[in-house]
Amino acid sequence: MAKRVYAVVIAMGLLAGSGSALAWMRQGMAPVGQGWLGSRVTGSVDADAWTRARVALSGLLALNRSQAIYFVRKVDEAGRPLTERCRYRVSGGALPGRWWSVTAYAADNFLPVNDEGALSVDATRVQRDAGGRWQAIAAAQRPPGASWISTRKAGNFDLTLRIYNPTPAAQADFGTIPFPQIQRIDCVPGAGA
Amino acid sequence: MRRGWGLALAFVGAVVVGHVGTVIAAPRVIMQIAMHRLSDNGQLINAFRFSPRVDAHARWVVRPSPDLAYASCVYDLAHGPIAVRALPGADHGYLSLSVFAANTDNIAVLDTQAQPQGISFALALPGQAVPAGLPVVRATSTRGIILDRRLAPDAAAFAAADAARRADRCAPL
Repeated sequence: MAKRVYAVVIAMGLLAGSGSALAWMRQGMAPVGQGWLGSRVTGSVDADAWTRARVALSGLLALNRSQAIYFVRKVDEAGRPLTERCRYRVSGGALPGRWWSVTAYAADNFLPVNDEGALSVDATRVQRDAGGRWQAIAAAQRPPGASWISTRKAGNFDLTLRIYNPTPAAQADFGTIPFPQIQRIDCVPGAGA
Repeated sequence: MRRGWGLALAFVGAVVVGHVGTVIAAPRVIMQIAMHRLSDNGQLINAFRFSPRVDAHARWVVRPSPDLAYASCVYDLAHGPIAVRALPGADHGYLSLSVFAANTDNIAVLDTQAQPQGISFALALPGQAVPAGLPVVRATSTRGIILDRRLAPDAAAFAAADAARRADRCAPL
């Protein structure tokens, strides 16, 4: 009888430990400034077991930072979670790399299941003003005359910034990167604060 | 009383073992699943597989980029080294080959910024002989994944990248 009790308790402990690990792994990256999350050791052979586990779950086959750096944004400039029920202005200037993109992902770490063909904007497609600034609209409906990141069927989503062939300065110090800003424009009624 | 402490200790110990064990095992398990999918259930080893253009329904790996054309090669070095090659497209856009070990580590990445004429190397385990003169990447695991990424943000660019990547090589030496 006592052995059976111990076996049940140990099984419950293993399940609890495994569950806590999976919950922790889903939390993703650490803050790197200006509301963005990132990791200096993604893909690296220097990654510890915990970082490796997080990346395996949310960024499998990610490159190390000599080739690409990845950042995730889950909130707007006011710290509110990004949701398909609101429209956002995504804006920025030159980014320190050969090529960059901003892509919307749903909470399951996959692309939102819509067929708009507008799941990202990238350095080759955005329109820049005379000062080199660009902007796009992240929204469920196509905005007239603007670059569009479709968030239809995205639920609570995040935006992932990829910078390929990042400059040595950007690799060394994420704080030097002029990250894009995410401003909420408006929301459908009842979308909350 | 003593039994209560014993049960509490057993529970805490099991939580720690479960937590650490999951963290250590998860990358290898997830990588095994990815290798199984990308090799068509183990049928396509040491050969490139060309993924269709990424759209909202892509589910072969988390967070695929819709702006890139991907080709993957699940490698197995148990019977010897392999030769890997990728040539740039006519537009000389972004192209990289990256090598991932079975524990998800990105052990090597080469691109056409550094090698504009194309990327070519041998992938071998430590101690495996390779022909002289061929750059060598030493693998840290017998099996893993090689990924070819090419910039392809629209349909025309994808068509061009797809045509260029058909010359990719991932095969036994």
